[in-house]
Amino acid sequence: MLELKKVNAKVKSNNLEILKDFSLKIKDGEIHVIMGPNGTGKSTLSKVIMGHYQYEVTSGDIIYNKKSIKDLEVDERAKLGLFLCMQDPTVIAGVSNSEFLRTAKGELTGEKVNLYSFIKDMESAMDDVKLDNSMLHRSLNEGFSGGEKKKNEVLQLKVLKPSFIILDELDSGLDVDSLKVACLNINAYLQDNPKTSVLIITHYPRILEYIKPDYVHILSNGHIVKTGDVNLAFEVEKNGYEGYDSNE
Amino acid sequence: MKGMIQMNSIYVLDNKKNSKYHYSITEDTIIYHFSIDSSSEVNIDLDKEDVTLYYYYNNINYKDNDYKIKVNHNKGNTHSEVFNHGVNINTNKLTYYVDGVVPKSSSKCICNQENQIINMDDGKSTICPNLLIDNYDVDSNHSAYIGKFRDDYIFYMMSRGISRETANRLLLNGFLINSDSIDTNRISDFIKEIEKI
Repeated sequence: MLELKKVNAKVKSNNLEILKDFSLKIKDGEIHVIMGPNGTGKSTLSKVIMGHYQYEVTSGDIIYNKKSIKDLEVDERAKLGLFLCMQDPTVIAGVSNSEFLRTAKGELTGEKVNLYSFIKDMESAMDDVKLDNSMLHRSLNEGFSGGEKKKNEVLQLKVLKPSFIILDELDSGLDVDSLKVACLNINAYLQDNPKTSVLIITHYPRILEYIKPDYVHILSNGHIVKTGDVNLAFEVEKNGYEGYDSNE
Repeated sequence: MKGMIQMNSIYVLDNKKNSKYHYSITEDTIIYHFSIDSSSEVNIDLDKEDVTLYYYYNNINYKDNDYKIKVNHNKGNTHSEVFNHGVNINTNKLTYYVDGVVPKSSSKCICNQENQIINMDDGKSTICPNLLIDNYDVDSNHSAYIGKFRDDYIFYMMSRGISRETANRLLLNGFLINSDSIDTNRISDFIKEIEKI
């Protein structure tokens, strides 16, 4: 279970407070959605959970499986099972996809990863997400289209097997078919790993046609102002965020 | 872009020695120049029309050193791509002078250079990129970066469970062995030096 307890977080460079007394509890196996207008702190939330270097938690706590992760390094959080599927995955020239993922797998499991079986597993996973196998040997996300980058994130998820997944605007940059492929793979993963929890950050309910949430939250001014079921997402799509403002 | 695999390949390693090189290029050529704590001066003449040169310079630096490279496009329709990557380990001074020269008599040339120095400590690094172009139909670009490995690279890797130390090592390897066409069996001394960083 992940719990954020009255978390206040600011941007380190300018002291701008983004999250304000933010609280949320996500139990094992639950799927939660965060929606909200631009600039309310949705992506900040995902980065704060993951321990991004640009943000500082000034008060409150983040608990994962009964352990405070607020002061942990980013890799330590990942080793506990957290996975952030990024909105704009980073391009790293010179480091191949296979080298990157094999290293990550080895560090997560603490075991040496056999190259042959790893490549075979990867090729199968790449077929699942409809990525060309040649991308395995290319530099990380270099020259990938927006859709290919997102599919590569889903590929990583399948290989690294996290217990808590954050999808930060998975649907941006994905065409209808690619979104479907990505979501079907995530659903298959969740079916195989039913205790895995998901936090979906999105502007649009399109992704919720494929991944069915348990709760939808509206974020405004750094904290949750309304919680409902999937119908809340469709209501927002129809009527916008007017009426969900928070000036506090 | 011509297929690198068909190109004439030259491997050079400077290990704690200062060297000068001169090449007269008359066929498509790729030069891999590895340097450990050395100053080097390289002059390259592209002496035949239509030839292409790829130059990969990869450098590990501990003391004050200079690297100078000058590519002269002496004939028309010649093409140069120069990639200079250095890692400056201590608080020393590392300077790159990178010149691409296209005279008026050489037309339709391509003259590109990309320069990066990663400072592992508070070293004083300088890159002086010069494109001396005296023709109107040349395609020419340069880029230069001095600094640390970007924080977002490290964050991305760590977010997948890779420790900071291992992330830096992966980045160093990718930065200093920056072409898939490099035969790593031929640069074992340089690879051992990377492992010491």
